[in-house]
Amino acid sequence: MGAWARRAGVALFVLAMLLFVIGPLAWLSLRAFAQTWEYPRLLPREWTLHWWETVLEDAQLGGAIRLSFVFAPVTVLVSSVICLPAAYAFARHDFPGRRVMLLSLFATNAFPKMGLFITIAGLFYSLKIMGTFVGVVVVHVLGTLVVMTWIPAAAFAAVPRSLEEAARDAGAGPIRTFFSVTFPIAAPGILVAMIMAFLASFDEAQGTFLVGTPTYITMPTEMYTLVLNYPEQAAAVFSIMLSVPSVVLMLLVRKHVMGGRLAEGFQLR
Amino acid sequence: MTAVAQRVRTRNRTRLRGFLLALPPVLVIAFFIGLPVIAAIAYTFGYSGGINSVVAALAQKQHLVDGAAPTFDAYREVLGDSSFRTDLLVTVIVTIVTVVLVMVLSWAIALYARFSRGVLAKLVTALAVVPMFIPVVIASYAILTFYSTDGFTRTLFHLLGWEDSPALAYKMTGVTVGQVWTHLPFGVLLISSGLSSVPDTLIDAARDAGASMSRAVRAVMIPMAALPTIIVATFTGIGVLGSFTVPYLIGPNAPNMLGVSMAQYYQSFNQAQQAVVMAVVVFVLAAGIGYFYVRANAKSARGSGRL
Repeated sequence: MGAWARRAGVALFVLAMLLFVIGPLAWLSLRAFAQTWEYPRLLPREWTLHWWETVLEDAQLGGAIRLSFVFAPVTVLVSSVICLPAAYAFARHDFPGRRVMLLSLFATNAFPKMGLFITIAGLFYSLKIMGTFVGVVVVHVLGTLVVMTWIPAAAFAAVPRSLEEAARDAGAGPIRTFFSVTFPIAAPGILVAMIMAFLASFDEAQGTFLVGTPTYITMPTEMYTLVLNYPEQAAAVFSIMLSVPSVVLMLLVRKHVMGGRLAEGFQLR
Repeated sequence: MTAVAQRVRTRNRTRLRGFLLALPPVLVIAFFIGLPVIAAIAYTFGYSGGINSVVAALAQKQHLVDGAAPTFDAYREVLGDSSFRTDLLVTVIVTIVTVVLVMVLSWAIALYARFSRGVLAKLVTALAVVPMFIPVVIASYAILTFYSTDGFTRTLFHLLGWEDSPALAYKMTGVTVGQVWTHLPFGVLLISSGLSSVPDTLIDAARDAGASMSRAVRAVMIPMAALPTIIVATFTGIGVLGSFTVPYLIGPNAPNMLGVSMAQYYQSFNQAQQAVVMAVVVFVLAAGIGYFYVRANAKSARGSGRL
């Protein structure tokens, strides 16, 4: 009896989680194929692929998709150049101010983005990067610095020093040691960070809107207008398209994310 | 040169190299975040020079300094406004409720996954991580349609015979649901990772000593997972406080969370100074939460002899 009640309780919890997490996504996906769908029907009355054509043929929406795919890799690249050497230094060198510097990155999270973007506009105007490609990249990179430093730093720190020392004893130079021992072991953590950065850029809407309009309108920025100005079905189609890259990329690193690579990064050492 | 002096020099050199390598992200943050934040704070006290001049030239209803002494008029105006105070209260309540719900759900899921090796446990963990895969804009829109007047929940209740069930969309309850949805993966990942680091032998030892399961959890698991728990609470709290997309898409026009009011004051009312005052208020709250994160990390580092 007790075991049955517990099993029923667990089943109910799983069902509730399924509804809570997947429900909204499934409901939205259905809409992308709906011709007519009146309340209170559980499913659309007529189905269509018409909305997919509408979205695919819309030049503005197509441009937004292309732009998102340009900004995201550029952001990851720039962020890697800035952050990965730093991540290695945080993991392997001890220097005065190390902890303070590591924590100062956290400050990015504490000030509300909206308030920051208002005054960042002044800075961007004086640097003449308002409304430019560079300006948008800067805004995107700012949103990636924490994950791109913290998670790889934890990954580098987790590489056993004894392995590196063994390679050095066997005659490998510091650079060879890094690329044949340290880097391969830390690679999954770095990959997780890069994909998180890619998605952060892919997901950034507010800053891009303030800095990039009217020239650079990315997918998520477009989504705000879409929700207000297009039929619900078109927004649903666009949502699915915007989610596909995220889902694919996250599935690639799912094991490492679930295995604690991400969690490690947030426990500063 | 003596060997000792040589070693000291090499050590100093590697220290310097470490410092220089670590510098770029810190400099980027100092320049593109530190500087604007300081300028923003100066602007709230009425200073409109420097990088604030562009914003100040366009904004309306500003309270600027007369001479060198700072003015508190912008704060007086915003803090004295009753609709701001309502928004602030709403923001704080949504933040607290979200943090509590994320904590309870994350712990429940992590504990279940820690002790049950079944398929269901794996499924629940996987489900809880799904929101991480979905861009926040999409998630907010999906949640809005799911809980709207013609959404799934009302349809389901209608079919079950409840004709006029409430819709959560455009209400703060809907916003809270959206916040929990978007912040759940981080909580589950961190607390699961914290719990998986507790060795079975430790729990068995507590059980052998006669502790009940719930006692074993309380005495062994909670202290071992204290740091991830605090990290989840602080990051969720700070994330919700400053959030924009979730309340903007799911929430009502007013009262709403401060992230939305800020955008409204800046974009619709062209009152940048008032918007920045709100940002500073949220920042002060977030810094208060951030303090716990820093302290918890420092404590745990000391505890394991790392500091």
